[in-house]
Amino acid sequence: MTRVVVTCGSGGVGKTTTAAALALAFASRGERVAVLTIDPARRLADALSLKNVGNTAQRVPTPEGQLDAMMLDAKQTFDELLSRHSPSPEARDRILRNHYYRFVSERLPGVHEYMAMERLLSLCASDEYDAIVLDTPPARHALDFLAAPDRMAGLMDEGVMRWLVLPASTGGWRMIEMGSEVLAGVLKGMLGQRTIEDIAEFFTGFQSLWGGFRERSLATRELLRAPSTQFVLVTTPAPGSRAEALAFLEVLQRDGLPFAGFILNRCADPPPERVAWPGTDPEVRAAIESTLACRQRLVDAQEAAIADLLAHAPPGARAWRLPDSDTAVSSLEGLARLGRLASV
Amino acid sequence: MSSALGSRRVVLVSGKGGVGKTTVSVALALAAARRGKRVLLCETQGATRVPAIFGRPSKGYEPMQVATNLDTLSITPEAAIEEYVLLQLHFRRLYRMVFRNRIMGAFVDAVPGLHDLIQLGKVWFAERETANGRARWDLVVVDAPATGHGLTMLGAPRAMMDLTGSGPFHDNAKLIADLMEDEARTALLLVSTAEEMPLRETVDLYARLGDMRRLVGGAVLNEVHPSPVPSPEAWTSERAALLAQGGGDVHAAIDIVDDELRAVSRQADARNRLASLGRVLDLPFQFHRDLSRAEYESFATALEVLL
Repeated sequence: MTRVVVTCGSGGVGKTTTAAALALAFASRGERVAVLTIDPARRLADALSLKNVGNTAQRVPTPEGQLDAMMLDAKQTFDELLSRHSPSPEARDRILRNHYYRFVSERLPGVHEYMAMERLLSLCASDEYDAIVLDTPPARHALDFLAAPDRMAGLMDEGVMRWLVLPASTGGWRMIEMGSEVLAGVLKGMLGQRTIEDIAEFFTGFQSLWGGFRERSLATRELLRAPSTQFVLVTTPAPGSRAEALAFLEVLQRDGLPFAGFILNRCADPPPERVAWPGTDPEVRAAIESTLACRQRLVDAQEAAIADLLAHAPPGARAWRLPDSDTAVSSLEGLARLGRLASV
Repeated sequence: MSSALGSRRVVLVSGKGGVGKTTVSVALALAAARRGKRVLLCETQGATRVPAIFGRPSKGYEPMQVATNLDTLSITPEAAIEEYVLLQLHFRRLYRMVFRNRIMGAFVDAVPGLHDLIQLGKVWFAERETANGRARWDLVVVDAPATGHGLTMLGAPRAMMDLTGSGPFHDNAKLIADLMEDEARTALLLVSTAEEMPLRETVDLYARLGDMRRLVGGAVLNEVHPSPVPSPEAWTSERAALLAQGGGDVHAAIDIVDDELRAVSRQADARNRLASLGRVLDLPFQFHRDLSRAEYESFATALEVLL
């Protein structure tokens, strides 16, 4: 069974770097690993020797094991889906020219998530990997990521589809449920007739696509709750990140998702407890001691934050302390070393 | 530029996640309020961190006074949409019929950028709100979403105009775009730390702003560490002497000094890279992490020069 590790957390905590580091650490144990990442920073892409963002696997030259990286791209995802599901080239081109499609393909919430979900399912089914590390987009709530495919499925839900598509196929709005006509009027009034027609054309063109949507969404839900899956929450000891991590944790627990622990980036090492100074300039010594006292305060705040996180976590949850990744991120060895500090 | 923000009425505070946007928003709002401006501080995307800073429970979308001249509220897309549509439709019953309809919920999700636009719409509305015959707020500070998303938010009015082409939505989006793109009324304040990722994202954001760069009223470099030694120049020889004479404890202490010196040198580099954005102001790092009200007040003093 392919092991799945999902890294989640808010923006700016080093989530993508951590996902890459974990993947490299697994590969350095000789495993065959895939990492699915979203919008990695240039320096990380450089470290992984990834040339262009794309939905296809790119082999990362690792000394041991095997690592494939995929950087998911929303626009390309949609274009691929379109080519795969369009009944004819004409139908495809009609969508490609559609005003709403051009607007939506880069921005529709859930596109990345949808692609990540599709990739995750097909990679697991392929049996080509021992482990898959899934980086999630930064979200205010963990649920945004998990619910996005469901939300999209809800949007493509038959009732909604029928409602949106009908005007194009029957030439008029129909009363499907209470308020639909009023609703149609309000929407037309606010967005304009042309926009509504564009949207209806788009959904008509994509109709064949939505069929498997729900099944895949359900299969993903099952996979994410399997014993072979682990969620790790990436965070830092800073108060803001901690608050957001706790909010994530609540959602993970509520949804019954298997939680392995926290990866705490940017942890500081404690200062030495006592320093036996050789004959030192008193001014320099005082300055250093004040620096050490500052570090001690920082470590105290950090340990209190970690204790607080663990107190909220289910029993057995771990906390892995990682140092500042600023220098590690530049090389594969640095990243793998970083990843090995978290024995997920 | 004598004062970066001057008489501007809307200040959007943005930067990478975790760099201290909320801290800077609060400090800036406090600074303006102390000068006698009536300030509204808006959190976005349902965030409710500000009331807790003032020891108050959040009242959500309702403005709540937290200090002299300072009110705060939390914008959620849902509340803003409801307010907007009620203003348009006038009938609460009609609103319920339309917007509690599940199709409508799905539909709002299907128009990307609508959430962003509608939140900016609330800012637009607050900017022109009047009370007793004059503007209700002298300054609206917006704790905007993180950079990648923040840029999307700023572009939301134009995107909506592009999608709709005409109609009420188009016209409303145009009003919002006019405010957001007017450097006489609106400013953008960017926040970063000296770490590579936030810094790069801030500089990238500035590059991608294009025409809207003229809105940028400066940058705040947050979490600035003090120098760990009195003289970094003299430190080289002192360090060598300590390394030669001291034991493991001294070496461990030197490692920490070296960490802090690296931080100081990263900060100098960061200031250079942010210089193209305008004035760069430092806020000091608080090693104990949790900021007290007094520390927010001292941050406010540090940001006063922006006003």
